[in-house]
Amino acid sequence: MAMLSRALVRWPRFRKVNGVSRGPGPLKAAERRAGILFSLPVIVLTGALIFLPIAQTVYYSLTKWNGITSTFVGLGNYRSLVSDPVFWRVVLNNLLLLLAIPFAILIPLAVAFLLHQHVLGWRVFRSIYFLPTAVSWVVIGMVAARFFAGRGILNDLLAVFGPGVRTDALTNEYTAMLAVSLTFIWSVFGTNTIIFITGMATLDQDVYDAARMDGAGTIAIFRFITIPLLMRFIQFAFILTLITGFTALFSLIFVMTTGGPGYGTTTLEFFVYQKAFAQGAFGYAAAIGVVLFAVVFVISLLQQRVLRSRED
Amino acid sequence: MANLRRRFGRGLTFAILSVVAVVMLYPFYFMLQVSLRSQSQYVTKSGFSLDSWAGLFDVLPVGQQLLNSTIVTLSALAIILVVSTMGGFAFAKLRYSGRTFVLLAIVGGMMIPLQSIIIPEYVNIAQAGLVNKFEGAILVYAALGAPFATFLMTTYFRGVPSELIEASIIDGASYFQVFRRVMLPLAKPAIVTVAVLQFIQIWDDLLIGLLFLQYPDVRTITVGLATLQSSRVINIPVLMAGSLVSALPAVIVYLIFQRYLIAGLTMGMRK
Repeated sequence: MAMLSRALVRWPRFRKVNGVSRGPGPLKAAERRAGILFSLPVIVLTGALIFLPIAQTVYYSLTKWNGITSTFVGLGNYRSLVSDPVFWRVVLNNLLLLLAIPFAILIPLAVAFLLHQHVLGWRVFRSIYFLPTAVSWVVIGMVAARFFAGRGILNDLLAVFGPGVRTDALTNEYTAMLAVSLTFIWSVFGTNTIIFITGMATLDQDVYDAARMDGAGTIAIFRFITIPLLMRFIQFAFILTLITGFTALFSLIFVMTTGGPGYGTTTLEFFVYQKAFAQGAFGYAAAIGVVLFAVVFVISLLQQRVLRSRED
Repeated sequence: MANLRRRFGRGLTFAILSVVAVVMLYPFYFMLQVSLRSQSQYVTKSGFSLDSWAGLFDVLPVGQQLLNSTIVTLSALAIILVVSTMGGFAFAKLRYSGRTFVLLAIVGGMMIPLQSIIIPEYVNIAQAGLVNKFEGAILVYAALGAPFATFLMTTYFRGVPSELIEASIIDGASYFQVFRRVMLPLAKPAIVTVAVLQFIQIWDDLLIGLLFLQYPDVRTITVGLATLQSSRVINIPVLMAGSLVSALPAVIVYLIFQRYLIAGLTMGMRK
């Protein structure tokens, strides 16, 4: 899922038509035949296991279906959805997750800026920062759960401030969401740092030198040169982080909180799983899946519009 | 004076980067340290033993599940590589009507969240009798990885000069021979990038395994670990030992191929 937005950034490339046109004749027919044959496997695979299911999901969302009997109910599931307070609680959780995104962007941005100074061992630091990208959300969640738990490391750290200072983050609806968000920020830190350091490598060193010559301090350079010049990369990281947060946190939530306490950490994505596979409300769950798809679709469209306006 | 300030600045930068490195590495240290204690030692926070490592093999069929993960990951990877290199070649270099539309659709497939298709996916795979069989999970992983891999291969093949292909065709080679002998050898870096990205993605996944491989003897290690956590007896040092074991293969792949991973992430972001 994280990969989708990577592609979207480069979407305009597909408008380009490349290669030279070749004349008609048997060669062209052979090329057409080869083209169809070579693209057939990927068409069949994605057609059967991605495009057919999304159409089925839309159909399921219009039925009441418990796994055995199904009846067509039109927009009934959507109507129950908007009048379901739990649904709005879940939407709120997605919005809370949104609040984590500025931190998930700004911290890596600042650290990438420091990495770009190329101090001793910066390559080692880069490898270390990127390491969590290779680690499953399951494992990350496993450790994070111990970190935030009542008898966890966080309280050992807080004990420095006195015996009364303690927290049991995972047992309260809102602090549990905070704990999930913090873990999320930690997990995407490496990816975003790499995106920004790649961006910085494309910037012209002369601009920095000129600014320094004119007496600009480090903070001023960061604020007035690095950030504006990196806008394209910041947008890319933003959309990648947003879509990861909305569609790839299932394992993290499953391991850390299983969506609780209450519905405290149930996001749209997790809600689909709960409704379908824990409660057997397949039609209703499909409707949530359609909503999630629509949300991601709109985000992607917005992203493209922003990119296009910047290119003009 | 300016030199001194500069040196101080670099020293401070190094210090901050070190602190961040500690924050990023701490979980790994935590897993290792806790896994080397027994449950009682974990509670008292003193002493070390290998009890938890021995215990891990009692509660989790580690070897079997590592093998399952390997089978599932490598099989899905093989399918992804075959369909994406073939598709990438067609979309980048072979002209036929409908090409642009099909490519756009497949790239658009990346926009579909897994949760939005998971219900019919499960129903279809169940109807085909492939739940709790490797084949079902392999097919689903392959399909999910295919769009991005195809996109990446298409982008890569576009950089290959068309003259190379035309010359071979005029010399009497078939398109399949061109694909085998010209395109595939050229695509090695892109193939490695796709392989590394997908290996990590599939190895680390939970949801597909959770739904499609439910019996302990077919589960992948990541799923085994996640279900261990939700079982009755929660022995934290054992969980941490399990976490390390499940994370290790993907981390090793990362350490060997990180160059390709970074290339895949940032490919095409440059102008």
